[in-house]
Amino acid sequence: MAKLNILIAGVGGQGIITMGKMIANACEKEGIKVLVAETHGLAQRGGAVNIHVRIGDVYSPTIAKHGADCLIGLEANEILRNLDYANRNSIIVFNEYTLKPVLPKVRENSVEEIIKRLSNFRIFKINANNIASLVGDKRVVNSAILGFAYGLGIFKMIKEESFLTTLRGENNVKAFKLGLSEGLKVSDKVII
Amino acid sequence: MSKRIVLGNEAIAFGALSSGVAVAAGYPGTPSSEIIETIMKYGDKVYAEWSSNEKVAFETAYGAAMMGARALATMKHVGVNVAADALMSSSYTGVEGSLVLVSADDPSMWSSQNEQDNRYYGMMALIPVIEPYDPQSAYDLIMSAFEFSSEVKHPVIFRSNTRINHVRSQVDMKDIKPPVMGRLSKNPSRYALVPENARRNRKEQLRRWEIIQKKVEELNSIEGDGKKLVIASGIAYAFVKEVVENSKVKILKLSTPFPIPKELTLKALEDSEEVLVVEELEPIVEMQVKDLMMSEGIMLKIHGKDLVDRTGELTLEKVNYAVGKFLGKEVDKIDDIAFDVVPRPPALCPGCPHRSSFIDLKKGLALAGIKDTFFSGDIGCYSLGVLPPFNEQDSLIEMGGSLGIANGVYRSTGVIPIAIIGDSTFFHTGLPGLANAVYNKTPMILLVLDNRSTAMTGQQPSPSKYIDIANVAKGMGIEYVKAFDPFDYNTSTRIIKETAEWVKKNLKPAVLISKRACALDALDKIEDRLPVAEVDMNKCTGCTICYDYFTCPAIIPLPNKKASIDLSQCIGCGACVPICPFKAISMKGDKPKGWDDAWLS
Repeated sequence: MAKLNILIAGVGGQGIITMGKMIANACEKEGIKVLVAETHGLAQRGGAVNIHVRIGDVYSPTIAKHGADCLIGLEANEILRNLDYANRNSIIVFNEYTLKPVLPKVRENSVEEIIKRLSNFRIFKINANNIASLVGDKRVVNSAILGFAYGLGIFKMIKEESFLTTLRGENNVKAFKLGLSEGLKVSDKVII
Repeated sequence: MSKRIVLGNEAIAFGALSSGVAVAAGYPGTPSSEIIETIMKYGDKVYAEWSSNEKVAFETAYGAAMMGARALATMKHVGVNVAADALMSSSYTGVEGSLVLVSADDPSMWSSQNEQDNRYYGMMALIPVIEPYDPQSAYDLIMSAFEFSSEVKHPVIFRSNTRINHVRSQVDMKDIKPPVMGRLSKNPSRYALVPENARRNRKEQLRRWEIIQKKVEELNSIEGDGKKLVIASGIAYAFVKEVVENSKVKILKLSTPFPIPKELTLKALEDSEEVLVVEELEPIVEMQVKDLMMSEGIMLKIHGKDLVDRTGELTLEKVNYAVGKFLGKEVDKIDDIAFDVVPRPPALCPGCPHRSSFIDLKKGLALAGIKDTFFSGDIGCYSLGVLPPFNEQDSLIEMGGSLGIANGVYRSTGVIPIAIIGDSTFFHTGLPGLANAVYNKTPMILLVLDNRSTAMTGQQPSPSKYIDIANVAKGMGIEYVKAFDPFDYNTSTRIIKETAEWVKKNLKPAVLISKRACALDALDKIEDRLPVAEVDMNKCTGCTICYDYFTCPAIIPLPNKKASIDLSQCIGCGACVPICPFKAISMKGDKPKGWDDAWLS
């Protein structure tokens, strides 16, 4: 099978490792080879983190520069930080959410500024925090983002059912489905 | 056999369990920590411990292997430096059972102070090194490592790296085996390394080495065919395999970078026209292959570190460049694209007691009239004190280094330094430095940040849960020992001021203990709803102190410069309350059940 390279970027504490586990478990259910390279330790504490998800006939644990088919940002600034993994055809998915770095006197880019910087890329944004509020559970943001990416068709080799069984609890399933329907609305713009 | 999604470290742990490991010891360190944790979780018949440092961990495994047991020691690469003394001796004596040392290396230094290539330890100690390339091979090869060690009665180094330890993938695993225990057997002529025995052991070691050199042949293989030979060691194989795709090349796949399999390498060199060695970091395999070719009179062009980057972890683009050049393809070097993004270094968590300790220390020293000092730092979460606005880690070198470095700073400048060390690091290698400070009368303040946890690597326990640091300091002859709660700003700053004055006057070491639990540990114990901080907008003047000088991630500036609380991040610890000079921050909500106990017991 072909290779699928997904780089997920975020801030330590956003649940990025759990997200990688969910994708890995979904691949396992489908019997597809998967490698997820994680960031642990000191770097995890509120710092910029990413995971490399590689699916299919893969050996290298990490994605090549310009080699990501899809870039997912749990925080919008982290897309910019990892943009050298993208190419002009990459699908760039990000949450309309920014977090201030914990440094004195620095200001992060706003969502509008980031969209302007990404004008040459294929971007798909979602307000996952709003979906989490709708569900009434702020911990389900990542399931909404994952559902959105699924709706866009990024994980088309994985059955929806396989994804749903990796989600813990009703709220995560609700968020995934809400994200998924948002993704379906714009999925005609996606060619992978 | 069952196939499961596991982390590389879990694969190593399960492989050890499937090999009948009986004793496992380690000291936490990224990227190695999950190995011992997994053995503790699944090996209910295995003795597994977090030792006080890597030397003790290695000795524990070594002692068990002397008795004939199957034993494992795990640590990060720099931890092996701490264990090196015992490691060198283990190669002289050999062992009766199995002794496997997992060295989890960290190329690119994701969470480390250097990226030393621990395959060199194998070379220095004459210990074979086994290297996997992914979680599945880690599982398979850790089992080979136990077998190998038990057959040749010699320790084995199992060298992994971050991109194996922290990669999650499917791994086919066998059942767990009952532990292979030891039984009391004494053999002082082998294990008591007085010169007479050591000289005999040295000869025995070289005899075993002859056997080891032959035996490594079975752990390596040749793939593909072609006149161009790529030798790929450990993780390099994963990259090479993906990069060569359909190119006609021969690959010598090495699981033992030291010693290389002589016969197999010669076979691979036969009818090869050119050679490329791909390996991470240092030219360990390259040196051995060149040496072998020279002794065998083989004259071939050989590439290695001329094409493969010597710094940082391997990447697809690095290996693609090297293999492409080797195969005579057009390849461009891909440069990192620099984007203008605000930096986001790791940060102390909301509620972290270290943040308060750094603020207290700065203020307390100012009250004592100390304008300039040297902050001799150490390894732990508090290493983040190197960042602004704290700037309170002028050096951090290695575990336990704060005390010795502080001594050197004082002896050469006369400036009274502040050594800062965490509780786990204090017991790891801080104690000899403290003994030295008493013995040689070093005027310094030692600030122990006691959060009762080895927090940075995932809240493993620390000896401070069982041993009172104040009693240790007093018992070692420190005359001035005081403890404070870092969240109590006024008391803490007063105590720090008085301590600094005492050291200046008496020119002797003093020990301060800042005592409060790691916030993540404290939160784990709380089930009730957490309180939150609240900013009174009438009192807030927008002075910026709380978010620019205290820098709790949960305090966010508003466009009018006033402070606001990010409710998704605030844990209600209250550390910010005394920091506001205008008393604009207060706590809303009741203290949850067990709150004070969780933080202070």
